[in-house]
Amino acid sequence: MPALRRSEWYDLARDLNWNLSYVTEDEAFPEVMSNNYGITPNEKWWAWDEPYKVSYREYVHNQYGKDASVYSVNSVIARSRMFEELDPGWKSAIVAHYGAIAVPEYLAGLGESRMGRFGRAAAWRNMALFGTLDETRHGQIQTYFPYTLLDKEPRMDWAHKALHTNEWGAIAARHLFDDMFTANDAVSTAIQLTFTFETGFTNLQFLGMAADAMEVGDLDFGALISSIQTDESRHAQQGEPTVRILVENGYADVAQRLVDHMFWRSWHVFALLTGLSMDYYTPLEHRSHSFKEFMQEWIVKQFLDQFRDFGLEPSWYWESHFLPELDWYHHALHLGVWFWRPTVWWNPDAGVSPAEREWLEEKYPGWNDTFGVYWDTIGDNIRRGEETKTLPETFPMVCNMCQIPVVTPAGFRAGKLESPEPHIHIHEGRQYVFCSEPCKWIFQLNPSRFAGHTSVVDRFLGGEIQPPTIPGALEWMGLSPEEMGQDATNYAWAYEGLEAPGAAAS
Amino acid sequence: MALFPIQGIYQDDFVVLLVPIDTEDPMTVVAEKIAHHAAGVRVPPAAGELRIKYQGELLDPEVTVVDAGVPPLGVLQAVTG
Repeated sequence: MPALRRSEWYDLARDLNWNLSYVTEDEAFPEVMSNNYGITPNEKWWAWDEPYKVSYREYVHNQYGKDASVYSVNSVIARSRMFEELDPGWKSAIVAHYGAIAVPEYLAGLGESRMGRFGRAAAWRNMALFGTLDETRHGQIQTYFPYTLLDKEPRMDWAHKALHTNEWGAIAARHLFDDMFTANDAVSTAIQLTFTFETGFTNLQFLGMAADAMEVGDLDFGALISSIQTDESRHAQQGEPTVRILVENGYADVAQRLVDHMFWRSWHVFALLTGLSMDYYTPLEHRSHSFKEFMQEWIVKQFLDQFRDFGLEPSWYWESHFLPELDWYHHALHLGVWFWRPTVWWNPDAGVSPAEREWLEEKYPGWNDTFGVYWDTIGDNIRRGEETKTLPETFPMVCNMCQIPVVTPAGFRAGKLESPEPHIHIHEGRQYVFCSEPCKWIFQLNPSRFAGHTSVVDRFLGGEIQPPTIPGALEWMGLSPEEMGQDATNYAWAYEGLEAPGAAAS
Repeated sequence: MALFPIQGIYQDDFVVLLVPIDTEDPMTVVAEKIAHHAAGVRVPPAAGELRIKYQGELLDPEVTVVDAGVPPLGVLQAVTG
């Protein structure tokens, strides 16, 4: 029986802050590693606090229990035929998820460990140590689980491979995560990774996908991401106290800018990853909400509450750009990913059978007029046996910020943008192409941070991709013919509700 | 004659495309080259003559990108009328 209750010793043991005498603060906390944004002396950061107050002994005990539980589920399910019996669209969703998320979890461990060393309060460094261990666990578990499925789906090796290739989605993920945590200072990381990304968006990916996984019957994936989310909800708490210190010291504008920057970037990559999974890849009978409904419940409401609590404002683009994009952006990305399907490592599920189109029209009034018409033409080509017309002969332009194809014409067609044209910006003689006003704004906030990067299209035009053809680009992206995406249902959606070919003659 | 990249948008399509054209191509050919990637592929072929719009103005069908002062990766829309 402990002699002291935890509450009697925890804060004293945790808050081991002291004034430096052998080195200066700048030497111990260089700005590039820990930008204090002018809040000095360092004692002002020592008020940093978080609500979880877990001891190391408790942490290890809890994590051991979580791992024992979730690895047991995996061990049992690996001997079953559960994976083989999953819907092909759902399989695509998890193959995409593992490739986009597993290795970035390790990278997030770098960001956490930077906060573990350069966080400006001992309490923060303590929590970030747990965060480092969390992210290492998440990297391990999300490479191990797909590893156990390799004999059933060889492309599960993209869980490890994707981030080491030049596949365009992997470049988009690397660009985002480098900006957010791999190449970010500790203070900005706390606000951009934990406050903006984890508190909001990973809730959507992990809680939303966990709910869908259980509906679909994918107990393995459901158990995995539910387990991960319990860690996320703890270490995400590093954001709020950091924002609070900035606001209380008169730097609300800094916090606002950091949030606005990363919220937009997170939105675009989540529209690509989660938007497609929820509205097109998850079997219709198992969809509990649309992506837009999840966004409204988990993101819009939550962020508005947080903005109000901290005296921040909704981002300048909230009403003018973000909310309108909820109606069209991920639908355009889905169309693009499906059309350029050889360029991704999963099998995109068109998800546009008559019943699915009816659902999309109900959830997104006007979908048939705006997006259904493209699928009408594509479906006609499939039924005429002209598959080649449904495959790309050139590239889409790619945004120099989010690295995602520029789909402004879809926003224009949906009546949400005034022009179909991309946003052009010249910086030091180089032309940059952006998909949206906020992506351009993020670039202009800190051009030197982003100017040297080249998009897939820049690299193609610069001669890095040889031969300069679609096959040359696919090889450059690391995609062998066996790995390239194909329609997940072999075009069954194009024939649903129609008489089967040849049926009339029999 | 030289290969010349432009950003092409076909009327009613959903995406901005990288389209290779030739510096000698008149705008009628440029419009065909943009349309090749979208008309009958994702959208029905446009009814009527295709014209090229650049910076809000319809270009003369016979001019080239050099004549019109279009830079590499200039944004050209293929539209009817």
